[in-house]
Amino acid sequence: MSRTVVMLLAGGVGSRLNVLVEARAKPAVPFGGIYRLIDFTLSNIMNSGLERVGILTQYKPLSLMSHIGSGEAWDFEGRTRGIKILPPHTGKKDSDWYKGTADALRQHLDYLTRYDPEQILVLSGDHIYFMDYTPMINLHRAQKADLTVAMMEVPIQEAVHFGTGIVNGQGWIVDWEEKPKKPRSNLASLGIYVFRTDYLLDALRVPQTLDFGKDLIPSAVKKDRVLLYPFTGYWRDVGTLAFYFEAHQDLLNPASGLNPEAWGIQSNPEEEGLRGDRSPVIVHKNPKVNRSILSNDTIIEGQVIGSILSPGVRVGQGARVLNSILMHDCQVEAGAFLNRVIMDKKGRVGRKAYLNGQTTIPNREFPEQLHEGLLVIGKGAQVPPGIRIQGNSIVYPWIKEDDFSGDEVAEGMTIRPRTVTP
Amino acid sequence: MADILAFILAGGRVDELSVLTFNRPKSAMPFAGNYRVIDFALSNLMHAGINRVGILSQYRSASLITHIGNGASWDMTGRHRRVALLPPSTGQMESDWYKGTADAVAHNQEFIWEQGPDLVLVISGDHIYRMDYRELITFHQEQKADITIGFIKVPRPEAHRFGVGVIEKIRGLPGGRLKAYQEKPDQPPSQWASLTIYLFRTSVLLEILKTIHPRTHSEGIEFGRDILARLVPHYRVFGYTFEGYWGYTRTLDEYWQTHMELLNTKSRINLKQWEIRTNLNHERIRERQPAYVGPKAILDQVLLTHGCIVEGTVKRSVLFPGVIVEEGALVEDSILFFDTVVESGATVKKVISDKLVRIGEKARVGGGEVQSPNESFPDPLTSGLTVIGRNTHLPPTIRVGANCILYPFLDEDFFRESDIPSGATIS
Repeated sequence: MSRTVVMLLAGGVGSRLNVLVEARAKPAVPFGGIYRLIDFTLSNIMNSGLERVGILTQYKPLSLMSHIGSGEAWDFEGRTRGIKILPPHTGKKDSDWYKGTADALRQHLDYLTRYDPEQILVLSGDHIYFMDYTPMINLHRAQKADLTVAMMEVPIQEAVHFGTGIVNGQGWIVDWEEKPKKPRSNLASLGIYVFRTDYLLDALRVPQTLDFGKDLIPSAVKKDRVLLYPFTGYWRDVGTLAFYFEAHQDLLNPASGLNPEAWGIQSNPEEEGLRGDRSPVIVHKNPKVNRSILSNDTIIEGQVIGSILSPGVRVGQGARVLNSILMHDCQVEAGAFLNRVIMDKKGRVGRKAYLNGQTTIPNREFPEQLHEGLLVIGKGAQVPPGIRIQGNSIVYPWIKEDDFSGDEVAEGMTIRPRTVTP
Repeated sequence: MADILAFILAGGRVDELSVLTFNRPKSAMPFAGNYRVIDFALSNLMHAGINRVGILSQYRSASLITHIGNGASWDMTGRHRRVALLPPSTGQMESDWYKGTADAVAHNQEFIWEQGPDLVLVISGDHIYRMDYRELITFHQEQKADITIGFIKVPRPEAHRFGVGVIEKIRGLPGGRLKAYQEKPDQPPSQWASLTIYLFRTSVLLEILKTIHPRTHSEGIEFGRDILARLVPHYRVFGYTFEGYWGYTRTLDEYWQTHMELLNTKSRINLKQWEIRTNLNHERIRERQPAYVGPKAILDQVLLTHGCIVEGTVKRSVLFPGVIVEEGALVEDSILFFDTVVESGATVKKVISDKLVRIGEKARVGGGEVQSPNESFPDPLTSGLTVIGRNTHLPPTIRVGANCILYPFLDEDFFRESDIPSGATIS
């Protein structure tokens, strides 16, 4: 497998995740208590025995870079192993930001060719799945394909969100539709590609080739050897707040197939002070804890049901946390109530505050992004005691208590910092 | 700050901990889910900026070697930082096993010469406490002491179990001149018990070590028992008084009590505030996912760690990484080490199980009304604890009483009886 170089596309903005991507790239969004989205792909790479990884970053890469560090957490340190962050670099043109996935690779041809790989595995860093890439690479080589695309059957109505392929009887992809309005096929691309190196280099010579899904693959299927690699198993895009929430519910359901530890998913416990050697979980007297995930250093004195708690979360006496996702170091003070809340790191909910995500009224400002009855609290936000916040509301990061006016926030509101009028 | 080299005495073998120390020194005993006992000493050193450390160990040190790794967990790697495990080495004598704490340090004088420190700090790796050694060091330097020994006040009836010092406290300072020292005296002259924390001026330590002749001490040479008392008249020896929490867990009962204390809201052991660090690679702690609590689980006063899966009922217990409590199982007042499995319908009361123990369906282990002390182990095992050695698998529906000791690596087939009475030892 030493002849494979992995290019991991980690530049995704993921804007539909709203305040969760306010200060981080989508692959760096926390998941499942102790992970970030990119951990799933990085761990799959590690567990497949692949050793050379380039990570293409662009959008708000800071937390991503500190998370990846030296790559030691995924065993990418060593003489023949390495992980390299590849940011966009200034070239001859005015703007050299990546114009698409293929364009991003074109800017790093030197890395692509440095290790003289036979094939290049292109992955994206924001999906939740478990896959050994070895059989796919083996199939690609055995069939002498130019390009192999991993695809999964999805319900036909969901195919509209994906690149879809039409496959002939021998498993070759002969036609392609990118996010079709009326899909002809329910075979959806997972954004996992194996390229023959020479083939990719040739394709990237065409300057109009900016994106794999939109440009490269549609033309490739017409004339070149593009092979299907069928994937079955758990795979999930968590690009919307609702998908993100549902994937967390899968964690609480052992039958869902989502099982990070069994999949060998590694995170980086040493990252930016979020040390893994935090103290254990402490559940105090007379709480009620059911169907939940608890990370180290959480202290529970109240009720926690159907929720995922990251390290450092506090649930005070008499507080109730239902169907919620609380990231690192969130504080829920005594008597507070949370239902269907996604709370980014370091937030605080004051005593007896009442936060209920459940509603049918969509967010007024972002009706497309938030309409499924959730409440989203940005990083470091301070929710004042006694307040009532209704569903599909968004509280911006680092909001202070006095940014709220009144003691009730109606459905679908967005709370931003108060602008200071002189 | 002065240039300091530390030695951790980590070789202590303790019969009192029974099957739990068959395969590990006490310093490598698991503690509070994520930790080993030696993490406390190592973390204290780290926080004091002391990053050149020798660990003296000879008894069953494999788990200790794994745990220490390269020392990176305590930030002890780098050009001028190191943590070295110093096992006994073959010398000119027939047997150069360490014969006591002072002998162990004496064997490693070369390590001291090589590092050339101003001061040598000798501490035990067996204790649960948080202490800023910098205060001790400052006190030592201000008093121009040759030797400073750490003490803590213990209840008078306990004092006879320790080295006891008579300290002439200096007003406003944490300690004073040490007037006398007695090891485990029948009539303790004070309540100041030694913490096994000794700070030496390097030249003084080397001078003392020269006087050591292991052959004249058939029972080995211990700092506490054989050396400290006779230093008092000849050197500037000071006692430093410590006022924090100190846990020494010498017996199974104390070990259990200390864990129960962790579950108390007002616990004096504050693992978070103390910033205790550990090696997350050991027992794959970092690879495990957060704890999962199932839909029917009941938790009440529980300490949980990553990798745990709880579907049953757990009360007043400490679950180490990877422990599984199946549906309908009940765990009370127990400490379950790594990857212990309690199968459905089993009941576990007042049990300490070592790692990879499996308790079969509907088994009933520990507790019970009528309790006889452990026959082969009568001294410490009278409190009703039952202890199970690592990898032992108890068959379904078996009954095991209180004060029992089950040896490691016993298979299901090994248990012919369906009832193991209180006080039995099964080996």
